[in-house]
Amino acid sequence: MNENRIQAMVENNKPSLLIVDDEPDVLFSLVALLRRDFQVFTAESGAQALEVLQQHPIHVIMTDQRMPSMTGVELMSRVRAEFPDAIRIIFTGYADIRAVVLAINTGGLYRYLTKPWDPDELVELLKGAAAKHDDLVAQAQLHASLSDYLDDASQLIKVADSSELGVGFAEQFQLKTQRLRNYLANIQGNS
Amino acid sequence: MNVLVADDSLIMRRLLTAYLRPWGYEVLEAKDGEEAWSLFQSESVSLVLTDWIMPNVDGLELIRRIRASPRPGYCYLILLTAKSEKEDLVTAMEAGADDFLVKPCDKEEVRVRLREGERIIRLERELAQQNRQLRETQAALIQSEKLASLGQLAAGMAHEINNPIAFVTNNLAVLRRDLGDMTKLIDKYQLTKPVLQQAAPELHAELIQLENDCDLAWLREQLPRLLQSSASGLARVRDIVTNLRDFARLDQAAYDTMELGKAVQATLEMLNRSIEEKRLTVETEDEHTPPLLCQPDKILQVLYNVVLNAVQASTPDSKLSIRIKADSECAILEVQDFGVGMTEATRNRVFEPFFTTKPVGEGTGLGMAVSYGIVIDHGGRIAIESELHRGTTVLVRLPFKPPPRQNGQTATS
Repeated sequence: MNENRIQAMVENNKPSLLIVDDEPDVLFSLVALLRRDFQVFTAESGAQALEVLQQHPIHVIMTDQRMPSMTGVELMSRVRAEFPDAIRIIFTGYADIRAVVLAINTGGLYRYLTKPWDPDELVELLKGAAAKHDDLVAQAQLHASLSDYLDDASQLIKVADSSELGVGFAEQFQLKTQRLRNYLANIQGNS
Repeated sequence: MNVLVADDSLIMRRLLTAYLRPWGYEVLEAKDGEEAWSLFQSESVSLVLTDWIMPNVDGLELIRRIRASPRPGYCYLILLTAKSEKEDLVTAMEAGADDFLVKPCDKEEVRVRLREGERIIRLERELAQQNRQLRETQAALIQSEKLASLGQLAAGMAHEINNPIAFVTNNLAVLRRDLGDMTKLIDKYQLTKPVLQQAAPELHAELIQLENDCDLAWLREQLPRLLQSSASGLARVRDIVTNLRDFARLDQAAYDTMELGKAVQATLEMLNRSIEEKRLTVETEDEHTPPLLCQPDKILQVLYNVVLNAVQASTPDSKLSIRIKADSECAILEVQDFGVGMTEATRNRVFEPFFTTKPVGEGTGLGMAVSYGIVIDHGGRIAIESELHRGTTVLVRLPFKPPPRQNGQTATS
C-alpha cells in the first residue's frame, strides 16, 4: 500500500489504473509492463481493491475473474454501484468466459480479455479505456457546467428589464433555455 | 460345410463321398493321414471323418496333430474303426476324437453323427463371435474411460499452466522492451569514455574490465535473440495448452451451420502443397449431405487433422479417397489412405494425447486426441480401420443436430 501512495505522488499526469489478481506474479508482471503509461495500483483481492478505490481516484480497473472470496464479476458490480466513473475490464482464463460474457451484458463492462494476453494489445486496450474515462469525465463536466450556466441564465433574464430587451424576447429566451434543459436531461438520462 | 474324409480304402472313400454330397457337404478326400494333414492345413475344414488304420500317419496321429494345431475354430473329429473294444475307444477319445463310428457304417448313423458335429461347430462359432464382440466392446469401453480420465487431467493441467504462461509471456515482452532501453543507455554511456578516462582513469579501467568480463559485445548482439527464442518456445507451450483445452473441451465456440463438402474442399486447399509433394490423387465422393449444425472452426480442425494424417501416411503417387455420406441422423465422413497403415497396438492408442508415431518435433501427438474430443463433444463418433502396409480409413460420424451440452463438462463419452 505504501508503494502505491509513493507512485501516486510521483506520477500524477498519467491515467490511474488498478489491477486486481490473487497471483502476485501476475501483478508484478503487469506493473512492469504498464508502469510507463499508467499510474499503476495493485490489489490481491476484491476487498483490497475496494480499499484502494476509496483512497485514490481510479480511472480504469482491471480484475481477474477467478479469485477466492470475491470473483471479478462480483467486484465489478460493487464498483459499478460505488465508483461508477471507473472503466471496468475483466481478464480471465477461457473457462470462465461464460460468466464474464453474462457480466458484460448485464454489468456494463468496458471489455474482457483472455489470459494469456498479448502485451501490445493490452496496452492499447488500456489506453483506450483511459481515453474513454477522460471522455466520460469531460462530458459529465460539460453537462454540469452547462446546467449551471442555464440556471444562471434563467435567473438573469428574470431580473432583467423586459422593456430594454424588447417585447417577447424574455419569453423567447426562457423557451430556448427550457429546450436546452430538456436536451440535457435526455442526454444525462441516456448515459 | 467342408468335410475331410481320410481312408486308405478307395471304396470306403467313394462310399462316404456318395453319402455326404447329397446331404449338402463339400467333401475333400485323402488317401492317408499324411495327405489328410496337408489338406487340413491348406483348406478350411471343420469336420473330419478318418479311418484309424492307415499307412504312414494313422488316424490317431492325424487327430493328435489336428488337436495340437493352433488354427482358430473348432474341428469336429469322427474316427472310423473296425475295433469296438472298450479300451480302443478310450484311446481314440483320449487322443482327441469327438466321436467314433464302427465299420461297416450305417448310412443313417453317419448322417446323424455328422449333424451332431455340425451342431457343435455352429455353437462354437456363435460363442466365438460373441466373445469377439464382447472383447471389442470391452476395448472400446476401456478406451473411452481412459480418454475421459486423460481429458480431466488435461483440463486441470491446462488451467494450472495458463496463469504462469500468461505472466511469463508478459515478462518476456517487458524484458525485450526494457533491455532495448538499457542498451540505448549503455550506448550513450560509451560516449562518455574519453571524458571518464581523463577525469577518473581508475574508474575507466574498472569499467573496461567489467565490459570484458561480461563480453558486452556478445550481450548486445545475443540477448535479444535469447529473448526471442524464449518467446517462441513459450508460444509452443501455449499452443500445446490450447490443444489440450480442445481435447478436454473446455472452450465453447459458437454453433453455426456448415456444409461438410465445402469444408472438405477448404481443407484440401489448405493441404494442397503436401498433397502435391506426394503426387497424391484425391478422389472425393460427395453425396451433398444436408448442412450440419456444429462449431465450424472445431470441425474444420478435425478435418485438417484427419486429412493431414492421411496425407502424411500415404505412400507417394497413391490415392487419397474421401467420401461424404449421410444416414437419417448423421453425416458420415470417410478418409481413406493407401499408405503405411498401423499395427493394432498403434490403432488402440491413436486418440491418446501425446501419442505420436512422427519423429520428435514433427507432431505433438495431439491432433487425433483433439479431434476425438471435438467429435465426441458434437455427439458424434470417430473410429479407425487400419491394416499395416495397406492403409488406414478414418470414419467420422457427426449428427446433424448435436445434443445439448452441460457447462464445465470434461472429456467423457
